[in-house]
Amino acid sequence: MMAQVLPAARRYGIAVVTVALFAFLAATTDGFLSQANFRNILDQQSALLIAASFATITMIAGGFDISAASVYVVAPLFALQVENSTGNVVLAVAAGVAVGLVVGVANGLVVTALKVNSFIATLATSFMVFGAGFLISDRSVLRATTDAYPAIARTRWWGITTGAWIAAAVVAVAWILLSRSRFGRHVYAAGGNAEAARLAGVPVARVKTICFAMSGAAAGLAGVVSSSRSLSALPSDDFSFVFGVIAAVVVGGTSIAGGEGAVWRTIAGAFFIALMINGFNLHQIDPIWQRVIQGAVILAAVSIDSWTQRRSQ
Amino acid sequence: MKSAEALLTVRNVSKRFGATHALKDVSVTFEAGRVHGLVGENGAGKSTLCGVVLGVHAPDSGGLVLGGSSLSLDSPAQGAAHGLVGVAQELSLLPAMGVVDNVVLGSEERWGPFVNDRANRRRVEALMAEHGLEVPLDTRAGSLPVADQQKVEILRALGRESRLVVLDEPTARLASHEAADLRSTVRELAEQGVAVVYVSHFLNEVLSVADTVTVMRDGRIVRTGPAGAETHGTLVEGMTGRHIGEVFPPKPPAPAGDAGVVLRVKDLCSIGGEFSDVSFDIRAGEILGLAGLVGAGRSEVAHAIYGAGRVASGSVEVGGRRLSGTVEDALANGVGLIPESRRDQGLMARRPVRDNTTLPHLRRFGGLLGIRTGREQMAAGQACDDVGVRAESMLAPVEALSGGNQQKVLFARAVLGEPRLLIADEPTRGVDVGSKRAIYEALNQMARSGCAVLLVSSELEEVIGTCHRALVMRGGRIVAEYAGADMVDANLLSAAFGAGEKAEARPR
Repeated sequence: MMAQVLPAARRYGIAVVTVALFAFLAATTDGFLSQANFRNILDQQSALLIAASFATITMIAGGFDISAASVYVVAPLFALQVENSTGNVVLAVAAGVAVGLVVGVANGLVVTALKVNSFIATLATSFMVFGAGFLISDRSVLRATTDAYPAIARTRWWGITTGAWIAAAVVAVAWILLSRSRFGRHVYAAGGNAEAARLAGVPVARVKTICFAMSGAAAGLAGVVSSSRSLSALPSDDFSFVFGVIAAVVVGGTSIAGGEGAVWRTIAGAFFIALMINGFNLHQIDPIWQRVIQGAVILAAVSIDSWTQRRSQ
Repeated sequence: MKSAEALLTVRNVSKRFGATHALKDVSVTFEAGRVHGLVGENGAGKSTLCGVVLGVHAPDSGGLVLGGSSLSLDSPAQGAAHGLVGVAQELSLLPAMGVVDNVVLGSEERWGPFVNDRANRRRVEALMAEHGLEVPLDTRAGSLPVADQQKVEILRALGRESRLVVLDEPTARLASHEAADLRSTVRELAEQGVAVVYVSHFLNEVLSVADTVTVMRDGRIVRTGPAGAETHGTLVEGMTGRHIGEVFPPKPPAPAGDAGVVLRVKDLCSIGGEFSDVSFDIRAGEILGLAGLVGAGRSEVAHAIYGAGRVASGSVEVGGRRLSGTVEDALANGVGLIPESRRDQGLMARRPVRDNTTLPHLRRFGGLLGIRTGREQMAAGQACDDVGVRAESMLAPVEALSGGNQQKVLFARAVLGEPRLLIADEPTRGVDVGSKRAIYEALNQMARSGCAVLLVSSELEEVIGTCHRALVMRGGRIVAEYAGADMVDANLLSAAFGAGEKAEARPR
C-alpha cells in the first residue's frame, strides 16, 4: 500500500499541495472564495502562464532561458511603437511576438552551434535586449493610442478577461505539444540524455533551437498581454519577471537538469505561488515577509526534488 | 616466495544499490607482498568490492579488518590515509596540470600556504628512480601517451606509501610491450611488500602475474586459491557457472553462398584517424564479430556505419544503397544500433519503458492529434515481449529495471525498427549470465530471420561463441579475419595485441 502511495504522492505532490492550500484558504480566509478574487488571480497570472508554459519545454530540453525577462520588457515597446505609428493592433502584436522569436532563435543558435552554456548565453542576450528597449523607446514610457490595444487583454468573455483566455490557449498548445507530439518526445530525449537521443535519430540541436524560439515568442506575447492590461510599457532592465517564471516551473517539479517535467506541473506551481501571495494579501501580511516566505518555499521545493531524485537512483 | 602476511581482510560484506544486490556476504583476505588477481564477468561485483576496499562505497553490512584492527572508511581520502589506494581504469589525472603536480596531488610539499615546487619535483624524481619508472616531467599530463599516464597514476599511488594498491583493468588501454612492462612493475610492487589487487578481463594475464586468484560471480565469491591451480578454462567456468558451451546457444546456420550482401563497407576512414581503410561485407543471416582491444577503433567504425560519426572518405552501402552518413538516413534504411553504454548512449533513465522503446520510430504512430499512444503501447509491449523484457508496466521508468532488462529494452528498440542490419556494440556488458544467454538468443533470432548482425565485443569467448566470422582490429585497422576452426582465443588475441611484431604507435 505505502509502496504505491508514496511514488504517487511524489509524482502528484505539487497538485496535492496546491489543492490543500486552496482548501485551507477557503476555510480560513474571508474574501478568498469569491468570483471576483478568482477572476483577479487568473487575470494577474495570464502573462506568467504564457511565458512559463513554454519555458517549461525549454527547461525539459535541457535549456535555461533567462532572457524571458528582457523579451517581456522589450517586446511591448516594439509593439507599441508599431501601434503608435500604424494604428494596427494585429501588426503590433505580431511585432511583439516577432521580437521574442528573433531573440529566441538567436539564443538557440548560440547555445547549439557555439555550444555556449544556455544560462550564460541568455544572460548575455538579455543585456543586449534590455539595451535595445531603451533605444527603441527613447527611454520613456510608451502608451497605447488606440482602443484596440487595451482590448487585447482587457475584454471580458463570460466574465473572464481575454488575457486569461489567451493564457489558457497558449497553455493548451504547450501541453499538447509536449505530451502528445513526436516533437515533445524529442524534447524529453534531448534533455534527458543528449547523446542517446542523437543515436536514436533525434535532431538534438534543431529541437533545442525550436524550444528557445518558442519560449522567446511566448515571452514576447506575455509582454504584449501585460502591456495591454496596463495600457503602457516602460523600458527597464528588470529581471524579476523571469524569476517568477522559473519559480513556477521549478516549484511545479520540472527538473532544472532537464529530461523531466510537464506543463501541468508549471500551472500547478504558478497557482501555488499565486494562491500563497493572495492569502498573504488577504491576511495583510507584510510584503517584505512575503518575499522571505516565498524564497523559503522555492528552496523547499527544489530540495525535495533533488532528494527524491537521489532516492530513486 | 616470502611468507604471506594478511594485510586487509574483507569480512562478510554485503552491498546493495537500489534493486541490485552488488555484493552478497563477501569475505576475502589480501596479503602483503602478494598479487591478488580478481576475475569475474561484468556486473559480478569486482568494482564494488574494490570500491569497498578503497572507501568509495560503505558496506551495508560486514566490514574491513586492517592489520588486525577493524576499520571503517567513509571516503576514498580516508582509505588513502590508511595506505589503500586505487588506480582506476578510467584515468583520473588532471589533464591540464603537470606530471609532478598530478603525482603529489593532495600531499604537496609546502612552505606555509605555498606549494614548494622544487621539493615536489625532487620527490617525484626519487620515486621514479626507486621504482624504475620513467615519465617525462615537463609536460602536461593530458598530452602524455596513455601508457605514461598510467605510470603517473601508479607513481601517485606509490608516493603515498601505499600498503595496498588496486589496479582496475590496468592493461586495457596498453599495447602488448607496454602491458608486459606494467606486469613487471606490478611484480616489483609486490616484492616491496605491497598488497596488489589486480582486476583484469585478460585471464591469461591474471594467471601470469598473480599469486592468488579470486573468482567472483553475481556478487559472490566463487573461490579464492593459488593462481597455479587455475587454468583459463577453470576460470571461465567459475566466472560463468557453466561450461563455455552452455553460455552460448547453438549458432544459427551460416548464410548460404548465394545469400545477398546486406552491408558493404569500403575503404572507410575517419576524420580524426581513429580508423582507416576499413572494408568488409556482411551477408544476410550472418553474424560478424568485430574484436580487438579497447581503443582499437571498433566502436568508432560501428558509429560511422550508423551515421553517428564523421567520415573522411570511403562508403557504406546497405542493401545496395549508399548511406548519406546521418543517423536518420541509417534508420530509414533499416540499420539499428545497440550502443556500447546503455547509460550514456542508450536510455533516458527517467522516461517510461514505452518511450525508450519507440523513440526512433515515432513517425509510425503519428495521428492527427499527436502520437497514437494506444498503438504505440501495443507495439512497444510486443517488441519488449519478443526479446524477453520483464517490466511491471510499459509506463514504468526504465531506470527501475535491472541492468539485463535495460539492455533488452535497447534490443527491443532495435527490433521494433525491423532492421536489415543490426549493430550490437558490447550488448552483454554488465548483465548477468541468464540475460546474456537471452541476448545471444535474440541475436541469433535476428540472424535467422535474415538480418545481418555486426557484433562488437571485447570478450573473445563471446565472439567465438556467437559469430560466424570474426574481424580483429588493431590501431584503427582490420588486421585479421578468422572463421571456423581458426577462430580461437590464441589467434584473436595475438592479432589484437600484434604479437610477433613490435607494437606500433597507438592512436589516441
